[in-house]
Amino acid sequence: MSDEEPFMPGPPVPENARVGEDVHLEHTRDTFSRFFGKSDPALVIGDRTAVYPWTNFSVEETGVVEIGDDCIIVGTVFMCAERIVIGNRVVVSLHTLIADCDFHPVEPELRRRDAIACAPEGDRSKRPPYKSSPVVIDDDVEIGVGAIVLKGVHIGAGARVGAGAVVTSDVHPGAVVEGNPARIAT
Amino acid sequence: MNGSRRLPWDWYHGAVPENVVIGARSWIHSSFAFLHHRSEQPEAIVLGDDSGLYWGTDFLTGPLAQIRIGKFCTIVGAAFATNGTISIADYAFVAHDVTFSDGPVAVPPEVSPADRGPTTEIAENVWIATRVTILGGSRIGQGSVIGAGSVVDGEIPAYVMAAGIPARVVAPVPGAP
Repeated sequence: MSDEEPFMPGPPVPENARVGEDVHLEHTRDTFSRFFGKSDPALVIGDRTAVYPWTNFSVEETGVVEIGDDCIIVGTVFMCAERIVIGNRVVVSLHTLIADCDFHPVEPELRRRDAIACAPEGDRSKRPPYKSSPVVIDDDVEIGVGAIVLKGVHIGAGARVGAGAVVTSDVHPGAVVEGNPARIAT
Repeated sequence: MNGSRRLPWDWYHGAVPENVVIGARSWIHSSFAFLHHRSEQPEAIVLGDDSGLYWGTDFLTGPLAQIRIGKFCTIVGAAFATNGTISIADYAFVAHDVTFSDGPVAVPPEVSPADRGPTTEIAENVWIATRVTILGGSRIGQGSVIGAGSVVDGEIPAYVMAAGIPARVVAPVPGAP
């Protein structure tokens, strides 16, 4: 189904994406509009996984996104400069964001240089370096509506992330976390 | 723009409204961004040079709204829901799913109150991370960073990192002058 026409004209499924058996991929003009991954593969979608149209793979040249089998990805922005790994049977809700990188330096002067390099006709090779750290989400995790998972986070198997939570540190297997920043729910 | 108000790359059938000024080398994803633009001000939206407004950026402006965006700004995806004034100075980064809203309920202008909205001011070199909400009347000082998922309601000083709901100062920005 991955070679189906998108709803709106836009980039096709990239050649360096490995899409499994019976995958349901509803891609739109925006799904791969910021996909710059150069690895092979730079995107893996496991068997029977469903990816709905509000999903966006913003993958930098060095990034790799791996999604396991039987996942439901409703609408997630993947911002990937290094590696985002999602296990099997994971549900990621609407309006979520998973980022393995901050994408801009925090120091004001470096950030000003980055703003100039990121202009529509800027020279992106002049972008200052930024920090990345892989995100790993284990099997059977559920991520609630609007949640944000930030760089370096490992979410253990069966954990649940509440709606709107901002996950900035590791979540133990089976834990339930909520809030900004996310804390264990009592 | 050179005469035609139509964007050459536009997938949507609309055009850029007459009271929108787009600076040199600046880019906007589609005229779809102005689907709910109802400002009647002569220069309702002014975008400086070398700035990009990407997919997910939308203007939900009431009749009195005025929006000013400086140069070298990267607006990845922000909704501007206002009947007031919003100004963003140069070198801003505004991430995915950011909302600028006069109040905690953001709706299109057709169903908004007609009163003049507040004035929101974002100083130079500010970074607003993903899914932040900036409520009307807020001010963010030069060089500051607002963490993901925060709600800003009030004043954030210059050169700080602020996060949470409501956003509080959590640290100074490293490398501040």
